[in-house]
Amino acid sequence: MTERDTRNASKGWVPPMELDLDRAAPVPAEEETALLTGSGDPADLLPAPATPVRTTRRLGRWLFGALAALVLVALGFDTADLLARAFATSLALGVLVALLAATAGIAGVAMLVTELLSLRRLRRIEELRAEAGRLEVDAPGGRADRFAGSLVALYSDRRELAPALARVRDHVTDAHDEHEVVRLLDREVLSPLDRAAYQRVLRASRDTAVATALSPAALLDFAVVLWRNLKLVREIASLYGARPGYVGSLRLLRRMLANIAVAGVTESAHHVAVEALGGSLAAAISTRMGQGVINGLLTARVGLTAMHLCRPIAFGPDNRPSMNRIRKELLSVPKQVL
Amino acid sequence: MRIPDLNSLYDAGSRLLLESTVRVGVTGLRRAGKTVFVTALVDNLLKAGRLPFLDVMSSGRFQAARLRPQPDPDVPRFDFEGHLAALTGPDPHWPEPTRGIGQMRVSLRYRPESALKRTVQPMATLNLDLVDYPGEWLLDLPLLRQSFAEWSTQTLDLAARPPRDELSASWRGWLATIDPAASAEEETARRGAALYTDYLHACRRADTLLSLIQPGRFVEPGDMKDAPLLTFCPLQGGPRGRGSLWALMEERYEAYKTNVVRRFFAEHFSRLDRQIVLIDVLGALNAGPAGMADMKRALELSLEPFRHGSSGWLDWLFGSKIDRVLFAATKADHIAAHQHAQLRALLDRLVGDARNAIRFEGAQVETMAIAALKCTESVVTEHEGRQLRCVRGIPVGRDRPTVLFPGEIPEDAEAFPPGRDRPYNFLPFRPPDDLGRDPRGLPHIRVDQALQFLLGDYLT
Ligand SMILES: Nc1nc2c(ncn2[C@@H]2O[C@H](COP(=O)(O)OP(=O)(O)OP(=O)(O)O)[C@@H](O)[C@H]2O)c(=O)[nH]1
Ligand SMILES: [Mg+2]
Repeated sequence: MTERDTRNASKGWVPPMELDLDRAAPVPAEEETALLTGSGDPADLLPAPATPVRTTRRLGRWLFGALAALVLVALGFDTADLLARAFATSLALGVLVALLAATAGIAGVAMLVTELLSLRRLRRIEELRAEAGRLEVDAPGGRADRFAGSLVALYSDRRELAPALARVRDHVTDAHDEHEVVRLLDREVLSPLDRAAYQRVLRASRDTAVATALSPAALLDFAVVLWRNLKLVREIASLYGARPGYVGSLRLLRRMLANIAVAGVTESAHHVAVEALGGSLAAAISTRMGQGVINGLLTARVGLTAMHLCRPIAFGPDNRPSMNRIRKELLSVPKQVL
Repeated sequence: MRIPDLNSLYDAGSRLLLESTVRVGVTGLRRAGKTVFVTALVDNLLKAGRLPFLDVMSSGRFQAARLRPQPDPDVPRFDFEGHLAALTGPDPHWPEPTRGIGQMRVSLRYRPESALKRTVQPMATLNLDLVDYPGEWLLDLPLLRQSFAEWSTQTLDLAARPPRDELSASWRGWLATIDPAASAEEETARRGAALYTDYLHACRRADTLLSLIQPGRFVEPGDMKDAPLLTFCPLQGGPRGRGSLWALMEERYEAYKTNVVRRFFAEHFSRLDRQIVLIDVLGALNAGPAGMADMKRALELSLEPFRHGSSGWLDWLFGSKIDRVLFAATKADHIAAHQHAQLRALLDRLVGDARNAIRFEGAQVETMAIAALKCTESVVTEHEGRQLRCVRGIPVGRDRPTVLFPGEIPEDAEAFPPGRDRPYNFLPFRPPDDLGRDPRGLPHIRVDQALQFLLGDYLT
């Protein structure tokens, strides 16, 4: 029951009075237990975000689904066929083929399940971020504990975060409003993660810069950069609790392409080049070096965007990660390499 | 032998560099909650277990806090241990109203945030100086701007209006029998001052929380009990000739201003760096429209130095050093948590003028609803098919907890809607049991955020 409901439930004015002690329950009872035990399942705690219906996407989904089903059916027939033929040849071969088929089937299902789970985690984070945003704007009363419960549940199996979570549980009282609870979680739980994530971004962008600068062939450094970026995105996502699978990573990457502006990353590659090369020492260094710095900067952007996308509470104006340190670090790479 | 010398020299030098001092003024009318606030603040700093919104704590840079000898040896020490024992002892009770000034220093050790500072000395120290005094003395401040004639007119005017007219009846009766132009008799002066003091005491006892009690030393004399300086009272009519009763009273009034008021404020207010103004908004609501109006007037008067256009004497009094002012509505634990926003909005309206003026002078201003010592929990209960958010705590004088719906502050409308004669009933709650066993410090509401606003930039 939110505060607004309370007011609307009856326009009648209630005079100040004392009430029955035994009928009073702490506010808001069920959510507080969720917070204390960290056992809130966000799927049923949080209202599902309203998704706009898009027919084209739905058509695509139907197409994809139908094709997948066809392939599955075909595979099934083929396998059955194969089995029959193997058994006809010899029993040993039949058993072997059956075993192989079973292993493949089980592994496939297991993979599918983990992918689905990872997708759910990712979606959970997105929902959390949306909810945090809503809590920041208007505080409807009594929802912050739910939010906290969901966030705590997200990180409950992380050993290194246990002290921070315990601290939050310790600090949050019934007197904190939603804004304060969100801020507290942000400070206590997420800012250490931010620092770790930033370190990884820093390391990855140095890696790509150095690798590009030293690599003998353009194709090779393209591969290295691609691989390093993918690895970085997965690292950051796992750090914030998303642990994406393959599909999840792809989805993240797609989101990132759409969202690359979030990190304050509006400049194009050209802009980046000017920024990197226009500096005092840039003109002097070779194109390889310049290329390295550019790739490093790009990696950093990818990393920072990933941070924005994977964080359950959006960055505020004073804690958003900045490119400055990375930029400085990268501009010193040529000196180190030379 | 030389090397240790050098070392200690280095130590002294870096201490000079990194040991800074900040004087925080805790201002408030009587019963606003100054003493409890200072006690809770110091206890929380010493135990450091409940201040998540203080950046230095949450970033793990805080080392420890300790009580240190206060800077002014001639000022009595704030009885921190006594007040804490009262609040946390086996029979928890509130501290007595403060009778005199008290000072205290807490030193905070922390690791500086900037790498540069850390290379000079890995550990920095901030001395936090706090002063507590009887709230009655605060209202002496506006006297400095008033002549005896102005003050007399104003006080007489106020005393003749309800709810004070009954309380002041005997003093005003006496006034009617004397002639201010008659030659000054010490006996008459004493009699008038005694009656006037009785009236002020009656105001203080009144249950409508009357805040406007001037001069403060008449009811809380501190170390000046029975001094001749305190034998005057407002008189009717205009200035009279030399040797008259009026002249005598005026002379004493002026002497009071120079020797008591000016000294007190010069010694304790002029050197402040930060200021927190505690306001018992809920107490005023409890007292009804009359109490609210009285508090509003008292606030306006005591905040007058902050008003725009009077910066000349603001500078004289406060220096221009105060660069952050926090207005805090105290005792927020008297209402359920969801009402804090409304309390703050009400406070905003109450101090709006002063706030703009202070902003104009270039200082930062913030408002908050706080409780120095959280004595209640928010609970929900059902009443006539409606969910009510209430507070649960043990009222003073009882030993069983109760659930109280104290009335709700409306969101936009007037705090006193017409046609409802007692919309609020905030019972005083006593401190919860067993506070002494909690190693984390006294429970509070937003004292950490208050501290962050007041001291955050010193602790970087
Ligand atoms: N519930 C609750 N009551 C408080 C709190 N702070 C103060 N009070 C109440 O307010 C009363 C006055 O508090 P004090 O701290 O003594 O007030 P003061 O400003 O020092 O008053 P003077 O010394 O008379 O100027 C206390 O006796 C308590 O009843 C609080 O945080 N919560
Ligand atoms: Mg006091």
